[in-house]
Amino acid sequence: MRARIGLFLIATLFLALTPACREKPVAAKSDPALRAYDVEPDWNDPQKLTPLNYQQAQGKRVFYTNCVWCHADATPAGPSNRSNVAPTPPLANDGATLNPLSDEFMVNIITLGGSAMGKSAMMPPWGRTLSQEDIRAVIAFYRAIAQPPYQSPARPAPAYASK
Amino acid sequence: MTPEEMGKVSKRLRLGFAVSSVVFLAVLAISPVKDSLREWRRYERSYVRYAESRPDTKHLLADFHYQIDQVWIPDMNVVDRCTTCHQGITQPSLADATVPQPFRAHPPIPHRVKDWGCVICHRGQGPATEVAEAHETTLAWERPMLSVHFIQASCGVCHRGELTEAPQLNRGRQLLAELNCAGCHRLEGIERPTMLGPDLTNVGTKDSREWIYKWLKEPRTLTDSNGNVTVNGYETEEEPRMPHFRLSDREIRSLSAYLSSLKAKPVEPYKFDPRVVAMWEKKPDLADQGEVRFRQVFCTTCHSIAVTRAGETKLIGGDIGPELTKVGSKVNPDWLVVWLRDPQGYLAHALMPRYEWSDEDLYMVTHYISARLTDSDLLSDVPKLEPANSEEIQAGRRMFLEKGCASCHVVEGIPAQKDFGPDLSALGAKNVSQLEFGQSKIPRTLIAYVQAKITDPFSVNPAARMPQYHLTPSDLDAISTALLGMTGPPSSPGLARLIVPATPAAYHPAGTFGDLYERYKCYVCHRFNGFGGTLAPDLSFEGSRAQRQWIVDFLKNPQTLRPTLTFRMPQFNIPEGEAQTLADYLGTVMQSPGVNPAKVDAKEFTPQMSGLGKQLYEVKYQCQSCHTIGSSGGYVGPNLSNAGNWLTPAWIEAWLQNPQALVPGSIEPRRALTGEEIKALTAYLLTLKPSGAAKAGAAAGRGGAR
Repeated sequence: MRARIGLFLIATLFLALTPACREKPVAAKSDPALRAYDVEPDWNDPQKLTPLNYQQAQGKRVFYTNCVWCHADATPAGPSNRSNVAPTPPLANDGATLNPLSDEFMVNIITLGGSAMGKSAMMPPWGRTLSQEDIRAVIAFYRAIAQPPYQSPARPAPAYASK
Repeated sequence: MTPEEMGKVSKRLRLGFAVSSVVFLAVLAISPVKDSLREWRRYERSYVRYAESRPDTKHLLADFHYQIDQVWIPDMNVVDRCTTCHQGITQPSLADATVPQPFRAHPPIPHRVKDWGCVICHRGQGPATEVAEAHETTLAWERPMLSVHFIQASCGVCHRGELTEAPQLNRGRQLLAELNCAGCHRLEGIERPTMLGPDLTNVGTKDSREWIYKWLKEPRTLTDSNGNVTVNGYETEEEPRMPHFRLSDREIRSLSAYLSSLKAKPVEPYKFDPRVVAMWEKKPDLADQGEVRFRQVFCTTCHSIAVTRAGETKLIGGDIGPELTKVGSKVNPDWLVVWLRDPQGYLAHALMPRYEWSDEDLYMVTHYISARLTDSDLLSDVPKLEPANSEEIQAGRRMFLEKGCASCHVVEGIPAQKDFGPDLSALGAKNVSQLEFGQSKIPRTLIAYVQAKITDPFSVNPAARMPQYHLTPSDLDAISTALLGMTGPPSSPGLARLIVPATPAAYHPAGTFGDLYERYKCYVCHRFNGFGGTLAPDLSFEGSRAQRQWIVDFLKNPQTLRPTLTFRMPQFNIPEGEAQTLADYLGTVMQSPGVNPAKVDAKEFTPQMSGLGKQLYEVKYQCQSCHTIGSSGGYVGPNLSNAGNWLTPAWIEAWLQNPQALVPGSIEPRRALTGEEIKALTAYLLTLKPSGAAKAGAAAGRGGAR
């Protein structure tokens, strides 16, 4: 009798605790490149793809519309205007030049133009053409494709454990 | 029963009661214990811990409750509990990439989570409260989440027109249209054009059976397994239009027999002026002179040919018309002359403009094409083909229909094969269980299926009639995105109301201008009120922008304004009268509401003002970084050397005020110019006119600059 009650007890507990006969979800295997919102081929090695998140991808769009003419050596329309501009503008992926510049400086020089920041007036102000979001996105794109890679300035990580 | 026995029973009973009470309590406790261990509660507790570790705790926890959060929009069938775990999705301060998932904020998009929910775009199961059930496929829930790589497909569900923010979707739709997918498949938002491939009604008068055999066996556009496309052996970036069908030798023989028999309207050779023939026939440099004219006319704006420079041969030219490197070995020379004189006489839908040829030019150019753009080895591997007999022709006609050729090609008397392939207008909403994977080893997902079907149709269906396409990985992803966005009719009335339809544009003016517009096919390259090509400048506001006399001169003798462009307006040899008509129409009709010519008086501009303008141009604003004047300056904007003859003062002022107000999306940066500065710059630009010598130099340089 006691054994039967015990058996019943165990069975009840077991049934209650087991997730009811349920089909386990199937995870779709996905390629890491397919997880990125967009990709940009490395400018020096087209086989190497840099994954871009949403903001960087928006920046890529703005870059290839407005900035590519002077900040790249190849443009969608053929020859680049870079060689016509003096002093020669830095390439967008020129990490050695752009990585040390703060996001704040980058926002200002794009918004207000070169002359406002003590640089060449050949860099026009984009503040009335592009939105602040677009400008932030372009900077995010520059940071993503920088060679050598861009390291964001260290910030104190919050003391938090996810589990 | 004795009291002793009673006591025993009651003891047993009590024990029984005690045990069952404990069991009962334990069973009761199972549910709350299980509930407190639920995944979403773990995430909520974790979120609270995370918020407490940050300085903006108060703000982050302002709306927080330990409960299932839900976005419920009955109108759109949205029941989304995603925000239960994705607590930070609307917190701007959590946008940083260092914020651990699932708490990170959503990137800023025009749609708010509160109004739309999540699964409208991301798919997956909104009502689920477990990670796996919400994101992946289960037996009952079949809609897995859409990978962010293809997320623009979701934009396409409602936005049926072009969407600047979704370049991948736009590219995919453009490819679907360019590759003529609509010839066989029904596609949402992509209309089936009247003509996809060339009309073959009279193809027998144009090409030989041998050439057709060669073309069907091995289209001159080939793609290797790496996706490199070659035309006639030269690498190109263009998409091949005629895809590769798997045809047996017998099938090719009968098809070539049938097609070469199509000669409904025989070619009547054009009779050149005998004086022209007599003068040029014997000249040794006839083909060379023809080549010079060929270049001067700018055939290469639409057609490409192989050019060898510095030991490297590559294709140069546009892709509106076919590549021409070996066309002399393809077409009948008599046909060529007739075609060039009047393309629409042979093919009513042809995009090729009708040039105003002089007999001399036509004679030279056709001679050049037939003599130089040839390849004597082109047909060397074609077997000896007897003249087609009626049996072969009949078999070829059957084959033509069996293979679905009439989906893209028109032959008089054969009805168009619409919807030859499956309907794809709701492909993006299909469940995996509805797809046939055949023997293939690909993952059982919709995306894998779509991509396998495009890259190798036979891998999922050995009996597929679909031809083989070779796309670069990014183009393949773009096409997949566009197809996944085709989800059929909206699933709820709420969604149906949200559809942003494509704005169908058509611009077909009547009258004399309309005739010329059709004749020179202006709309193939230029855009008019949203209709037409994008190769050349949008002319919707040309009347406000350009001075009338400049338009007339340009039409008679087009020169490029943008040095970066490799394409130039062809020389149509437009006569004076027609140029006047075109300029009159453009000047009076194609006007921008933002430009008021009456507000600007050209007499008000003084030399002092233009002197100041020159200063502003060269020093303060350094416009030369993008614009060329004379021989120095940048390539990005148009050349301004002739701005004084070209632009109207009112246009310059309005443009400097706000370029994007006149041409949305213009890349000219809008500057904060004062009224005085605008006047000064306008005055300066109006003084820019090439001197006599420069003009002569520009004319001499014409044609040779490529």
